[in-house]
Amino acid sequence: MTIDPAPVVRPKNAEPWRQVSLSGVATIVVASTVPIAIGLFAMLLGLKFELALLLVFLPTQLILGVIAGRKFSGRRGQADAILQVFVVFFAMTVVVLLVSVVWSVIERGSAAISWQFITQNNVYISGSTSLEYGGLGHAIIGTILVVTLSTIVTVPLGIATAIYLTETRGRTRSTIRTLIQALSGLPSVVAGLFIYAMFIASGLTQYVGWAGSLALIPLMLPTVTRVAEESLLLVPQELRNGALALGSSAWRAFYLVTMPAAKSGLITAILLGIARIIGETAPLLITTFAANNTNYNPFNGSIATLPTYLYTFIASNFDTAVQRAWGAALVILILVAILFIAARLLTRPKTAKKAGK
Amino acid sequence: MTELIAQDINVWFGQRHVLKDVNLVFPEREVTALIGPSGCGKSTFIRTLNRMHELIDSAGLAGKVFLDGTDIYDAGVDPVDVRLRVGMVFQKPNPFPTMSIKENVLSGLKLANRKNDDPNGLVETSLRRASIWNEVKDRLNDPALSLSGGQQQRLCIARSLAMDPDVLLMDEPCSALDPGSTRRIEETILELKDEMTIVIVTHNMQQAQRVANRTAFFLAEDGNPGQVVEFGDTDQVFNQPVDLRTNDYVNGHFG
Repeated sequence: MTIDPAPVVRPKNAEPWRQVSLSGVATIVVASTVPIAIGLFAMLLGLKFELALLLVFLPTQLILGVIAGRKFSGRRGQADAILQVFVVFFAMTVVVLLVSVVWSVIERGSAAISWQFITQNNVYISGSTSLEYGGLGHAIIGTILVVTLSTIVTVPLGIATAIYLTETRGRTRSTIRTLIQALSGLPSVVAGLFIYAMFIASGLTQYVGWAGSLALIPLMLPTVTRVAEESLLLVPQELRNGALALGSSAWRAFYLVTMPAAKSGLITAILLGIARIIGETAPLLITTFAANNTNYNPFNGSIATLPTYLYTFIASNFDTAVQRAWGAALVILILVAILFIAARLLTRPKTAKKAGK
Repeated sequence: MTELIAQDINVWFGQRHVLKDVNLVFPEREVTALIGPSGCGKSTFIRTLNRMHELIDSAGLAGKVFLDGTDIYDAGVDPVDVRLRVGMVFQKPNPFPTMSIKENVLSGLKLANRKNDDPNGLVETSLRRASIWNEVKDRLNDPALSLSGGQQQRLCIARSLAMDPDVLLMDEPCSALDPGSTRRIEETILELKDEMTIVIVTHNMQQAQRVANRTAFFLAEDGNPGQVVEFGDTDQVFNQPVDLRTNDYVNGHFG
């Protein structure tokens, strides 16, 4: 007997698990289109969209799904169909909500966006001033300064805490972990009030950027610590043992083996921490206040940030003011998007980068 | 050359006594095999020989381990120095995933903050001693995880050898490997034993007979702590065991 060693071209139907009979396809098509048709028909008869969706579409979809599921695989298919209908329905609800939030910000915010809007500041601008004048450049700078200052303090602190929780056998680990969890439930306005009472009401300082940064630290710390801790816990114990068995000190084993292995998780921890505080309003209003001028110095004088800028204009009666606020919301969204894209690029696995080269 | 002596080793995890009164001598230039059924404390024991045992949270220990006459558990002894002299290869290959093959071999130097004048030479010698050089010499900069399981284990052996330890501890190094890789690791052990003291935990009776000069049989009966039932020349332990239980175990009547 001769054996042909050459590979064979993959046939089109090399996925036997995907086979669906014609009647199966027909059942699925019927089961998923009929409820929509009935729902639309109910709306034609004058039923409101929400009612048609919940009282007509959802029940018919459930019934037809169950019938179709039964036809395919009996009782198991029935339960499967019910779950599928609910999961898809609620997932779509959430997707629609999310998309509509983002869309409304983009739609109304884009009208305000212009080069002058993102570069100029708010001096001599009131709620009724035309959109051709002024902007939130000072607030972008303020946000970057205040958030950077918080990050510089919080990231080393948070990651050091995570290291203490995962890499050591300190006796106070469980206490610290509980405290960090409790901290994540701290209302942001309380953090702001605390700093306000301590530094501003007591007369130690005026409204100032660093006070805002200080108020943001307890908000950012739990996020950074928790995510960093999780990512360090994912590093297998065998790697640490391997390093220690080679005669490494605990610190070098962490620095050269554990930390590189957890790198992407640690970067995610930092970025999620920043995303957590970038939109904080309440603690900043009572610590930095909202300046109109551009202030490059977070250690002297009141400073504006994007959320406080948004807050000053959103409650106004003037359309132009409200448009400014929407513009600020869009700028915050864009900043967060840039951060997350950066995170994706930074945490791409090594192999993927090699393939790209 | 170094002689390793374990004296009256007792081990606890929490309140549970898992190893009792272990007295073993590991002469230099010899391979000693530790055999016995699962859960009898072989792996626990081998970890006491380079102070990896104490890294477990609830670990407890009494007894002494003499390395060249010094007790490694003496108050003044740094565990880092002990581990530099007593290398260890684990059951599961654990190459560092973020490093290349070459970096893995040199990782010990980096981790111990040591310098070497000829790193490339060291990489080649270490990989040759672990008999993996021919397979990887053209792709030293590839990630270590691109190797097969058997190659990863030999890379881990090379990584330990690069530190030039006096004693090499191997905790079931072949349990996850195919017969081909197992044979190569056994050949490596036989070549290495002229240069260092080797202690190997194994579940494979044939392997113990092929590589070990001496064999210790561990047994934990009915929830009692593990003890050494028999210790002597491999030939004697397998062919004329003194203890009946050793005879049953090595002939496959239980375990």
